[in-house]
Amino acid sequence: MAKPLEGIRVLDATVWFQGPVCAQFLADFGAEVIHVERPVTGDQARGVRSIAAVPVADWNQYFLAVNRNKKSIAIDLKKDEGRDLIYRLVEKSDVFLWNQGLESLEGLGLSYEKLSEINPKLIYATNSGYGHTGSVSKGAFDMTVQALTGIMARLGEPGEPPIYLGLGAGDAYGGLMGALGILLALVSRRRTGRGQYLDASLYGAQLFLAAPTLQAYLASQNDASANQQSRKQARNPLWNRYQASDRWLFLCVENDDDRWRRLCESLERPDLVQDRRFAAAEDRRENAAGLIVLLDEIIAGRTVAEWMQRWDAAGITASPVQAFRDLAEDEQAWANDYFSKVHCDEVGGEVVIRGLPVGLSKTPGSVETLGPELGQDTELILFDTLGIDWDRIGELKQLGVIP
Amino acid sequence: MSRALQDIVVVDLTTEFWASLAASMLGDFGARVIRVEDLSATPRDPDRDGHHPPEAAFDAEAELIHRNKQSIALDLSHPDDQTILKQLVGRADVFLTDWPFAAIEERGWGYEDLIAEKPNLIYARGSGFGPEGPDRDLPALDELAAARTGVMPSLPEPDQPPVFAASGQMYTMVMLALGIVTALYHRDETGEGQIVDASLLGGNMYAATLTLDAFMAMRDDRLGEPRPRFGAANPMSGISYPSADGRWVTLTMPDTDRWWPAFSAIVGLEVDDERFDSHEKRCGESRLEMMQVLEELFAKHPASHWRAEFDAKKLSADIIEKYDYPARDPQAKVNRYVLDLDHPSYGSFQSLGFPIHMSDTPARLRAMAPCRGQHTAEVLDELLGWSDARILEREQKEGGAGGEAA
Repeated sequence: MAKPLEGIRVLDATVWFQGPVCAQFLADFGAEVIHVERPVTGDQARGVRSIAAVPVADWNQYFLAVNRNKKSIAIDLKKDEGRDLIYRLVEKSDVFLWNQGLESLEGLGLSYEKLSEINPKLIYATNSGYGHTGSVSKGAFDMTVQALTGIMARLGEPGEPPIYLGLGAGDAYGGLMGALGILLALVSRRRTGRGQYLDASLYGAQLFLAAPTLQAYLASQNDASANQQSRKQARNPLWNRYQASDRWLFLCVENDDDRWRRLCESLERPDLVQDRRFAAAEDRRENAAGLIVLLDEIIAGRTVAEWMQRWDAAGITASPVQAFRDLAEDEQAWANDYFSKVHCDEVGGEVVIRGLPVGLSKTPGSVETLGPELGQDTELILFDTLGIDWDRIGELKQLGVIP
Repeated sequence: MSRALQDIVVVDLTTEFWASLAASMLGDFGARVIRVEDLSATPRDPDRDGHHPPEAAFDAEAELIHRNKQSIALDLSHPDDQTILKQLVGRADVFLTDWPFAAIEERGWGYEDLIAEKPNLIYARGSGFGPEGPDRDLPALDELAAARTGVMPSLPEPDQPPVFAASGQMYTMVMLALGIVTALYHRDETGEGQIVDASLLGGNMYAATLTLDAFMAMRDDRLGEPRPRFGAANPMSGISYPSADGRWVTLTMPDTDRWWPAFSAIVGLEVDDERFDSHEKRCGESRLEMMQVLEELFAKHPASHWRAEFDAKKLSADIIEKYDYPARDPQAKVNRYVLDLDHPSYGSFQSLGFPIHMSDTPARLRAMAPCRGQHTAEVLDELLGWSDARILEREQKEGGAGGEAA
């Protein structure tokens, strides 16, 4: 089936995660994405040896999964001949993407002014750390930027250490915001014939990531809402995490009298409906701490499976808190292509990675290949796309411009 | 000023925070978003989870998720208004809904029904668990999807409750917007519309990409289990320490050799301290000892001291702030991530701004969140060509439902 971004060529001069995952979206949906890397070492993510303190086994999931569906060209951008190759590629590309710090672009001869002069239709996108303007210029890593937004300090039980949202959980958001900007610029270019500059920063994206609680804080500036919130004090005790006899579950029940009655019945505690401490929604809110203690005791008495069976029958909304191991076997994730199987050379067979982010009924994306070997497409791109002859390619190798 | 989504009309029939926000993002970039408010339905209670107590005198959430929209109030239980909805779709480019699949199909607003009104329609659906599979009809609640994904137990310290970060829904939000704009691009190329699907399960999985891909490869349960703070592999990376004033510092310096000379100096360790003088020692035999030492050293000074030191030495480290930081941060304002606004009734307030900067087609705040039904007459006139007399007749018949509803 046709893919929506076929015919779009992307120069993906990014490293680590935020930029590469931005270009991944474009590659999943048919763009020709060329990961531009420096010779010898390439993208630093090729050097990842462990993830969350667990050593990667026989293949590097970090680099190879994130850079799926891409080509790789290795060029030394610090050499004049290398810069010239990039200029010639820019002429024939639709998108240039960069996440290696905005300060270095000028010195490399890769400023927006320069590249848009070469190709006025070029969409020039950056994933910066802290925005396209302003005075801040320091390194931006997922965790140090999560720290600034305030979301880490709000999560977890009071007194516990701040919570990191998970490896790359902010990076990937910046990447998706960048992809949205690029698609908007592509739609706009169809009408105007012009490219433009866009930036989606890690900081800006992560502030948005906190929207479900940050927006209310910004409007009220009420400091209590910026602090850790205890599950033992949840104002709606029926919408809370509880520990069953075998594992945790998430109960999501609106605090109204009908649901309260049905919940009490499912808990085999119809007497609670008559309990004056919890009679009306307002009572349950005011006596939340006591009700949570009570529910803790009752729910701890059975397994999650037992509760889910009762609650499904009673129309009570809840979910087991699963582990990755459960998700790996979850029919729902597989049925919707949220996992993909793809061939892996290192393993000599199929491996499973996260699948497609969006379903498009007539132009679905696909996962065809894992990430490329460093520079594997260099010669072919120079020959096919730029029409450089083999003698010159040999010279460029001699000069160390390409490997 | 040009707009990226100029001339695009979106009919927004959404209920949940994240789905409504996907529509307002399209509005930020110039689409005409018509929010359909169903007078026959009970509006979602923003505080249903008990974590969103009303804090401001106005609906702060609405000022984000409904900005740049027009509001039309329809009684969707009534056949006349059901017809109006279909006619609006006939004039639109995008129909966006987060209604349950069964409910929307039952009303006769499924994809096949609506392309009869508009053959190249982009029909976008936000759901809890995707359009296929046995659980496609579960409620579209981020809590359920997050619980399902496996990431919640991995976030806190051991023996602490699983953590719900509400970030999965924000992934789903942008995936929905991305799918719509990708489909618009394809439609401009080929004339073909299609269905766009994004789900909370997919969004939560996306948010956990790196760890999830690693788990699928290694099947190592440690990846999904809580890890104590001192279980970090590197005392200088992916770890936080409390400072003297209770605020925490956080370090991301994976290649410790590069940072050690400057870092050791600011914390007060000798650069040639033989316990810690190589990356191998720092991440190997002396790892735990170094964490204990750093814990003591960081507790000697307040966070402001550490920030000054980190900045002076350009270290990859920062302070774990609270929400008052972005509220005051000039960097957030100059990049329009946080906006200082004036509410027509309640005065000045702050709101989240725009996460994407575009030089030629920037996001703009053209309108604050509308009152319910504020644009009913305008939309009926401009999109459906109703006469003033007909609009007036409708308003009288419905006792003012066309204006702001009580």
